[in-house]
Amino acid sequence: MIIILVIAVMVSISYFIFPSISDAELEQKIFVTHSGAIVKTTGEILDPIYSVQTVDFDPDKFLREFNYGRVSMLEDGRTLREFTIIAEDDKTMEISPGIFYNVWTFNGTVPGPTIRATEGDIVRIKFINNGNKQHTMHFHGIHVAEMDGVFELVGPGGGQFTYEFEAGPVGVHPYHCHVMPLEEHIAHGLYGVFIVDPKEKRSPADEMVMVLNGFDTDFDTENNFYAANSIPFYYEHHPIQINTNQLIRVYVVNMVEFDPINNFHLHGNLYYYYPTGTNTVPSTYTDMITLSQTERGIMEFQYTYPGKYLFHAHKVEFSEKGWVGIFLVKENPENSIQGVKYGTWE
Amino acid sequence: MELGSKTSKGKLVASGVIPFAFVILLIVYLFGSSGDLLDVGVSLPEVTIEKIAFVDGEIQATVRNTGHIPVEVVMADVNDRIQPAAIEPDRFLNRFETALVRIPFEWNESEPYTVGITTEDGTRFEKEIKAATQALKPSGELVGYFAIIGTYVGIIPVMIGLLWLPFIKRISKAKYNFFLAITVGLLLFLGIDAIEEATEVSAKFLAGSFNGILLIATVVILSFLGLYYSGNKLVKRADASPYAKPVALGLMIAIGIGLHNFGEGLAIGAAVGLGEVAFSTFLLVGFALHNTSEGFAIAAPMAKGKPMIGKLVGMGLIAGAPAIFGAWIGGFAYSPFTSIVFLSIGSGAIFQVAVAILGWIRKEDDKFLASASVVAGIAAGMLIMYITSILV
Repeated sequence: MIIILVIAVMVSISYFIFPSISDAELEQKIFVTHSGAIVKTTGEILDPIYSVQTVDFDPDKFLREFNYGRVSMLEDGRTLREFTIIAEDDKTMEISPGIFYNVWTFNGTVPGPTIRATEGDIVRIKFINNGNKQHTMHFHGIHVAEMDGVFELVGPGGGQFTYEFEAGPVGVHPYHCHVMPLEEHIAHGLYGVFIVDPKEKRSPADEMVMVLNGFDTDFDTENNFYAANSIPFYYEHHPIQINTNQLIRVYVVNMVEFDPINNFHLHGNLYYYYPTGTNTVPSTYTDMITLSQTERGIMEFQYTYPGKYLFHAHKVEFSEKGWVGIFLVKENPENSIQGVKYGTWE
Repeated sequence: MELGSKTSKGKLVASGVIPFAFVILLIVYLFGSSGDLLDVGVSLPEVTIEKIAFVDGEIQATVRNTGHIPVEVVMADVNDRIQPAAIEPDRFLNRFETALVRIPFEWNESEPYTVGITTEDGTRFEKEIKAATQALKPSGELVGYFAIIGTYVGIIPVMIGLLWLPFIKRISKAKYNFFLAITVGLLLFLGIDAIEEATEVSAKFLAGSFNGILLIATVVILSFLGLYYSGNKLVKRADASPYAKPVALGLMIAIGIGLHNFGEGLAIGAAVGLGEVAFSTFLLVGFALHNTSEGFAIAAPMAKGKPMIGKLVGMGLIAGAPAIFGAWIGGFAYSPFTSIVFLSIGSGAIFQVAVAILGWIRKEDDKFLASASVVAGIAAGMLIMYITSILV
């Protein structure tokens, strides 16, 4: 009896002490990871490259998706753009492969839809709050006080409010929920981009939106993940395809909470930068801008040489937590420069 | 009659089993239908990083699910920067299950590193290592190195302590009791010291779900009772001849101290293995001074018997050599759980030896604890140990 007891105790102790040894197949598999490191293992891989297919938000779609609304003409000849935006706060999104976070969303995604209008248009937004908390929409821009989305709280469970204002000024602006505690409402994902085009259109370009954001998944008021358009490392393993000698225009908005600054560094190139996009003359020609909270602007550049070029936060902590991507520059079939080869690479 | 005894036996068994049956019913009921009813509060995931090893171009973390719910490990980081990693055997951990997370990383010698593990709900758990050092691999050289450390810490000081034997032999009864009492003081100190060390290991490395303090208390008392029982048998058998009794007592002390030194060796080996201690000459001197008193503890009762050099050396080895084995195990296969268990066993053993010596003194001394020599001895023993412990 005592012997059996002792054996039972020994077995249970050894179960606690020694790491479990798998008797499953011990075949080594090889993985090439996001950092370039090679991992050989009989087990599983932990890396943002793998299983990213399961992420339900599509950064590729978001990148070049602009919502112009339901367009109609007003009696005075002005254009009316109508949008419906629904807020929710009970969704769980896989914000990085395997990591699930309760996001609060405008129209089901973080960031919310990119709203686009031309200066002078009337923007009318039917806002429905289907969440469990109060939410609002607060646009950066010029409008009457009642349309500011601060004091006109929209109740949960289907509360409605219609925001209406004249689009302006020209530029790129954020919109976000402005209910207290504000940091919580923004950090959970209630934000998006509002672009106001000038009446005389900007020159044709390959246009894209990049919202620089982060997620604090363990609620210690420090971000665990950073990204351009929500999904860490996404554009690193799904490079953004562009052509040589084509104007690229990036509307960039910094929505990172908790960290005072963010920045944007482009490889193998420099860009013209238009702070807030309000001026037609660029403020600088650089490969590095620094952005504070909700600071935003327009970047314009074109690549001469094809290849893979990184873009990332030069606050390297952010890039090592996901805010990094690649432009895959392809030879433009319309006007390529033939026979240019520099350097050697083997 | 026979039938009657059978039914009463059946009744006895039934009365013993029925409460168990009700306990099982209760458990089934709680886990079953009424599960939702009692589901108040939130169960949070908890992962403990038990061990971090630095090998060539790789950091290896042993992680254990120490919470109440199954978890999925989905990400690893070094210094709060996301790193690709492998997890073996797989990323799903049930309660108390462990996995090895292997992170390819070109780490730098003696720099601090924090390894983080993130679970599927985004919670991050971390562990810091103050200075990275190459994980020890069992090699002839290292085995020898640990053997030397163990010899310096265990065997040599104990042997030196035994050299007091001729001195103790020549002194008067009162003085002899004084020295025996010193031994009691030394042992009490060592026992408390081991508990303190086990507590420290528990706080630093052991997940809360193991109930470290209660584990220590349980093992200390079990060890004490086990040795008390077998020790008494040993002494009773020795009662036949008057000369064997001191030997039996000496042997008990040697075994107790041996168990204690095994725990001490484990701690030293682990400290070297985990890169937490640079083993300096100074530290060795401290341990040596500290442990010389252990030899004295064995010598004191032996002084009453016939001089037996062979037996004395044997006891020195029993008391000292476990330090070597401890250092090997601690250095090559460290586990906080085993470490705590052995430290606690050592502590219980030491306390039992202290009790045995007190019993011995009581037989020799009419006034026992009231006598000045005994009181002064215990006090002196504690003080000696405290002062030499500062050197370690």
